[in-house]
Amino acid sequence: MGLVESGKLPKPLTSLLNTARKYSLWAYQWGLACCAIEMGAAFASPRYDVMRLGVIPLPASPRQADVVVISGTVTDKMVPAIKRLYEQMADPKYVISMGSCTNCGGPYWDSYSVTKGVDQVVPVDVYIPGCPPRPEALLEGIVLLQQRIGREDMADRWRGDPLVVQ
Amino acid sequence: MADTDATTEEAEAPAVDERREVILASFTDALGDAIVGSHIAVGRQLWVRVTREAWFDAAETAKNRLGFHFFDWLSAIDWMPSPWGRYEDAAGIDEGIPQFDPDATFETGVAGGDTRFQIMCRLTNIRRHTEPHLNVLLKADLPTDDLRVASLVPLYAGANWHERECWEMFGITFDGHPSLRHLYLPGEFEGHPLRKDFPLLARLVKPWPGIVDVEPMPGGADEPAEGDGVAAEEDA
Repeated sequence: MGLVESGKLPKPLTSLLNTARKYSLWAYQWGLACCAIEMGAAFASPRYDVMRLGVIPLPASPRQADVVVISGTVTDKMVPAIKRLYEQMADPKYVISMGSCTNCGGPYWDSYSVTKGVDQVVPVDVYIPGCPPRPEALLEGIVLLQQRIGREDMADRWRGDPLVVQ
Repeated sequence: MADTDATTEEAEAPAVDERREVILASFTDALGDAIVGSHIAVGRQLWVRVTREAWFDAAETAKNRLGFHFFDWLSAIDWMPSPWGRYEDAAGIDEGIPQFDPDATFETGVAGGDTRFQIMCRLTNIRRHTEPHLNVLLKADLPTDDLRVASLVPLYAGANWHERECWEMFGITFDGHPSLRHLYLPGEFEGHPLRKDFPLLARLVKPWPGIVDVEPMPGGADEPAEGDGVAAEEDA
């Protein structure tokens, strides 16, 4: 830990750490609408076999999850629950926004009750377009997230944003 | 037996629906002048429009006297045509912000109506072994400046959530409801989304592009004739 705090994590060690992390993604399923059917097909069926990518889609609680897949229509009433879910997850944590509704409101862009994009509430790492996206699209999103994790500098991540004093 | 009846009804198309006429007569007998409108669609539906004061009595008559024990649903209608018109469309953005006309008269349904807001509920008699089950559609007009009506919860427990939804979506207060609070909307929500004059803010910020991707029906009147296309090409 001393190495991390000094910001001098050796590159091979970072690479090893990231490889270990990206092939052991515990994915929490936050299915809200029809996209959840596609997510179920991708996560729970042997046809797409998401575990070959190193994703374990069955964490018992958000506290044990590395990534949450928010799929479906997020309403303003659901927003507090999503916030709380994200806060309950342990860092490092990632968010995949699946489907047009979650990305930007989708076909409900003019509704009185639908949140126009979950990125107004929690930071999103990967957006998956589609209405709904096919399971293959979700798998591609997971691969993109893995690439992102693979390039991550954990020292930076753990230090967090610099504290700026005016 | 039921099939035979349906076939007979269809073939002869009787102008009088005796079963529903009897029910309507029972309502009239019980409520008298409180019934301000009614309509029978032969073989299909019975509408009974009552005064606001008789709303609870009408439901009680239906349940206790006529055997409509099953509460199907309850909702309201805002008969006002959308005052936004095409303002929210990109095509109508030049027309300016629409003006609301509080004195306008509205087109209403088969049972008639005098005011903008009308409350309605559908009750079913499931104990009569006739197919299809008999229904009655109760309606009542509510004055726009006093949107209150008696709650049906003491009569039908199932009306609870329907009235809560109606309360938050239309702003209609139900007197005697045990806990009138939000059902679908977040607690701090302002406005009543199912009223016709509720603005969709997203559309005001970004005008709806309108119907742009609908192709005309083949052979329809909207389809440009072949000659027009040629003429347009010549013009170009």
